Amino acid sequence: MRDFLDAYSIQYWLESCPQGYLEGTEYGHRPGEKEPELLLDDPTLREQAISTTVQLVVGERCALAASSGLINAAPDEASRRFLATQTLDEARHVEIFTQRLYDLGVKKSELEDVIDAFANPNLVKFAEILLEKVDKKDFVAGVVGQNVILEGMAFHVFEMMHATSEKLNPKFAHTLSGTIADERRHVGFGENRIGSLIQAHPEKKPEIERMQRDMSYYMLATFADRFRDTASREEVQRMRREAGSDGAGSGTWQGANLADLEPEEMERLLADTILGEFKKRLARIGIEYQTPARP
Amino acid sequence: MKGDEEATGGSTEVGERRRYELDDQGFDEVPKKYRKFYRRWKGPGDELAPNEIFCPVCRIVIRSPREIRPGDRIYCMACMTRLRAVRGPDGRIVAEVEYT
Repeated sequence: MRDFLDAYSIQYWLESCPQGYLEGTEYGHRPGEKEPELLLDDPTLREQAISTTVQLVVGERCALAASSGLINAAPDEASRRFLATQTLDEARHVEIFTQRLYDLGVKKSELEDVIDAFANPNLVKFAEILLEKVDKKDFVAGVVGQNVILEGMAFHVFEMMHATSEKLNPKFAHTLSGTIADERRHVGFGENRIGSLIQAHPEKKPEIERMQRDMSYYMLATFADRFRDTASREEVQRMRREAGSDGAGSGTWQGANLADLEPEEMERLLADTILGEFKKRLARIGIEYQTPARP
Repeated sequence: MKGDEEATGGSTEVGERRRYELDDQGFDEVPKKYRKFYRRWKGPGDELAPNEIFCPVCRIVIRSPREIRPGDRIYCMACMTRLRAVRGPDGRIVAEVEYT
């Protein structure tokens, strides 16, 4: 059987991504789409949207630093080329989520101050653990941290946000759908590349398992901070009513109607889904999942 | 599809396979000519047809023009993963990842 990376090419990336699902988009969404007026007019909801988007920018800046930093640590040419396209994907994510901050009314001159003010310290710690591996040019740990843990988390967070935004905020939902498509390639690379590399470097397993446990803890701590300091279900329902959406047939993720869940129930659903997927993905590549402490 | 090229050798079941007409179901994450071979997964209640299999890596549904049987090798173009169809503990056909 050919190496899985033989199937990958820049041409494939061009046909799938810029000439595929991103064709005709503007910062990831359809041209002319706007944030809902309700979101822009309600100070609480607007600040919450800014705060959420800042976490996305922080996560994507980390992914950009990691994927670009791993290019020269990669042991083969095909991986370097893949990571070059991933670097562009991540740079695009940074740009589209930054643009969303501008669309929500953040001034360009205030951008870094807003990011500093809203960035969750636990998410920053999560990123630091990964970037330490990248700085050491540790390709195996770096790819597990980036393409299995970080991307695995982002994949589900984006899916859940997409489900909640589909009817309420089509602009943001369309922005997210392109990033979800990108994440599919990234998690695929992580599993496929590491699945073979970890067999050749079994001595790396304990260190990678520790990294997974620590990153998972900070991920859970970030979720705890976010969901315990969020709009109540009543506020979200009010927004849904005012937006003219009754929620029927929308907002379903992992079999749950998100409109029916309290924030802490959403936190549990998201955390359990992600940790469950980590466990399965890591088992497939021969790494034993380590249960993190619950914040 | 690439999956179809590979979904030939290795099947452990006998008898003629059912064939399926594939239509484009709006999955736009692969080049145009391959789109009909994939669809989005609708969540835990999504029933898969006999010519469909779930990719456990990127969580989309891969569709073959023929019934999928255990032993078939399948390629997920969305995440570049090679898979093999196996019968799971509950009797359903599931995909296992093959790392190379």
